[in-house]
Amino acid sequence: MTSTSSTTTPLLELRGLTVRYGGRSGLLAVDGVDLSLRAGETLGLAGESGCGKSTLAMSVLRLLPKSAQIEGEILLDGEDITQMSFGRLRTVRWASASVVFQGAMHALNPVKRIGEQIAEPIRLHGTVPAGHVKSRVRELLEQVELPVARADAYPHELSGGQKQRVMIAMALACEPRLVIADEPTTALDVIVQAQVLALLSRLVADHGIGLIMISHDLSVLGATCARLAVMYAGKLVEEGPSRQVIGEPKHEHTKALAAAFPTIGDPSSRYAPATSSELGLPGAPEPVAEGVEPLLRTDNLRVTFTGRGQTTEAVKGVDLEVYPGEIVALVGQSGSGKTTLARTILGLQKPTSGQVLFEGKALPHSARALRAYRRKVQLVLQDPTSALNPRHTVYEAIAEGLRIHKLPGDERELVAQALEAAELRPPERFMTVLPHELSGGQRQRVVIAGALALAPTLLVADEPVASLDASVRGEILALLLRLRASLGLAALVITHDLGLAWNIADRVAVMYKGELVEVGTVAEVLRDPKHEYTKQLLAALPDGTALPAGEVTA
Amino acid sequence: MSDEGVSLKTLSPRALAWQRRGRAAAAAWREFSSSKSGLVGLGVLVLAVLLALLAPVLSNEDGLDVTKATGGRMRPPDGNFWLGTDVDGRSILLLTWWGTRVSLLIGISAALLSVVIGTVIGIIAAHYGRWVSAVLLRIVDFFLVLPSLVLAIALSTVLEPGIGTIIVAIGLTSWPSAARLVRAQTLTVEARPYIERSRALGGGNLHIIVKHVLPAVLPLVFVNATLAVGNAIVAESTLAFLGLGDPFQTSWGGILHNATVDSAALAGAWWYLLPPGVAIGVVVLAFTLCGRALETVLNPRLREPR
Repeated sequence: MTSTSSTTTPLLELRGLTVRYGGRSGLLAVDGVDLSLRAGETLGLAGESGCGKSTLAMSVLRLLPKSAQIEGEILLDGEDITQMSFGRLRTVRWASASVVFQGAMHALNPVKRIGEQIAEPIRLHGTVPAGHVKSRVRELLEQVELPVARADAYPHELSGGQKQRVMIAMALACEPRLVIADEPTTALDVIVQAQVLALLSRLVADHGIGLIMISHDLSVLGATCARLAVMYAGKLVEEGPSRQVIGEPKHEHTKALAAAFPTIGDPSSRYAPATSSELGLPGAPEPVAEGVEPLLRTDNLRVTFTGRGQTTEAVKGVDLEVYPGEIVALVGQSGSGKTTLARTILGLQKPTSGQVLFEGKALPHSARALRAYRRKVQLVLQDPTSALNPRHTVYEAIAEGLRIHKLPGDERELVAQALEAAELRPPERFMTVLPHELSGGQRQRVVIAGALALAPTLLVADEPVASLDASVRGEILALLLRLRASLGLAALVITHDLGLAWNIADRVAVMYKGELVEVGTVAEVLRDPKHEYTKQLLAALPDGTALPAGEVTA
Repeated sequence: MSDEGVSLKTLSPRALAWQRRGRAAAAAWREFSSSKSGLVGLGVLVLAVLLALLAPVLSNEDGLDVTKATGGRMRPPDGNFWLGTDVDGRSILLLTWWGTRVSLLIGISAALLSVVIGTVIGIIAAHYGRWVSAVLLRIVDFFLVLPSLVLAIALSTVLEPGIGTIIVAIGLTSWPSAARLVRAQTLTVEARPYIERSRALGGGNLHIIVKHVLPAVLPLVFVNATLAVGNAIVAESTLAFLGLGDPFQTSWGGILHNATVDSAALAGAWWYLLPPGVAIGVVVLAFTLCGRALETVLNPRLREPR
């Protein structure tokens, strides 16, 4: 290495960094960013998808595609990366600065044991003698709190959190002085996320590593980083100590980001997801009257999968009720069986035993009756990009349900009404558009419009905002609330996000390992949890997103 | 988008859908026409089809009749007979020209037949899964391991000789690869969440197959069909060369068969063998070039970086 850390030269310094894709007139991804980071410091880089935060981070190791043009200076330990020879760059990559890539499941080679993968950069850089590589890998696995025996495992044998730990071990392999973590916890559950964040913070502090962490979630960054920088449209719009940026955001965009993830227990965000729509929000709903028949009821529902000699009980005897006009949040980790439960409710999956009752009647089995049932219960999927056929225009996507059910009335009129109801205005503008020409939020509105076209009474939404940007999240949640107020639409919202439940739900059902461990009103469950698992979920939330229990009650 | 907004109110959704398809086709053509080899192949094919269609108009069919032949026995090319004559004194040029008709007809029909069978079986196997798929895939495997030429020879021996028989013999032996391909593509399409959405909207099997699976699979089927035509033409020529073709129809394979029977090679009559052979080669190559270019249009990953 050229120099050891000194108090004068920052570890990383960006001066007027500009990155353009595809020529002079091309897309400006990063626009004149100045930034510096000293050894041992932690910096959070926040912003929505497409704001240039990943491009900025990847430019530090010159890991950008050929079409990218870099202007300005990137000084790593005082040495300009943009001027380095390729050989020099290779020495610097990973040995001085390394990356924890986004999406650990795709960044690991599925056919190589993880021990070998961690050893790869060590061997390439020769940081330890060949005989000691194995012991170094063991040491790294211990550092990231993985059992040493797991070195012989293949990536598919590990859980999401374990894979992320492997990625962190890889990043630390050559003892770099700078680590860039690109959305390291996006695909993880709250509890695992909290563990990974704690691990990262500890390692960074122990080894005096400079950390740049990228996320769209301010609370995640606030939990790990001392300083925060917010990017918007390629520009750095705000920078400062985390507490200050989250607590008193100055820029319009930072405010939106900070408001997107509510504080659980804060009455001001109850039934009030962050929205800037002029349509406003409906007031808190009337409580469901006594003696009303539930719209949907599951009766000791069980779903068992058998395959390759193994039986997996995905849903173990679930009794769940949804009343007319009620929003119920079904909360749980991935793998808890909540998606299977939703599919069973929609009749897409046959229950092993037990039954689903809709308006008091058991779910029919014949194809014709099932079709009639599906008119009333509609599904909104997690990722609107893949939920829409890329070859169908918005018009065709929405008219699809109308055509299947041969609903009476002018098709064009009905499609326009559905678009209007999903607040895509003016409807004519959207009809001829293909999904890829829309933004993520607009696509989700199209999926919702497609469901609304059939005038359903219940909407089953599987993680409806998980793949959307923070600012869009609030808008879609507000739309669900307005639809409930105007159409009396009930909704079963499946989510791993407790903030979402606090934002819009009336009741919460917590699912753990196929069972409902706790069901009750939002205030009961989130403010005064009874079950151990619910308590864990709440405790795992990053600091500042949950008020201590019992302090405020909504 | 704003300038389109005006015309929107006047157009029906169906018209709009066609307008969009038109634009997509134009974009596909632009991509296709950027491939030189694809354009050459297409040019050759258009020429071959035109020649085949116009043969009765531009030439005299009498020249194919042995009793009305005017040339000498196996004469080399000269001013009257540009490509020489066969053993009965007929013009090789005329025979090869008319052979285009039969070879193209059989090639295209047999390829269509095989692709249609393959598509139907492939989609059904992938969509219904479970035992339907198990049964169909065993049938596919059975046909896949049979030497298709032997099966085609057996079929054309058993059935009445004629163009129809040849088409059936080739079509029935070459569908399994198409079925495998379509099945794989259907499986990837059906794994997409929009299929689940369609089901949740109430769509039945037929709806999903017709509205979502077919449009996604058809381009691939089209490419596969283009490439299959070349194979079918070669298969037809082989059968005809072995003497299993329709003796009353002139085809390239048939000319080669006659040439062998008449020991043209021994007699040094190269003009008897070369024209039909070159014709087979050129047309098959043209179909392959076209197919490859189409493949690149559909699969951007095959494109060379520019």
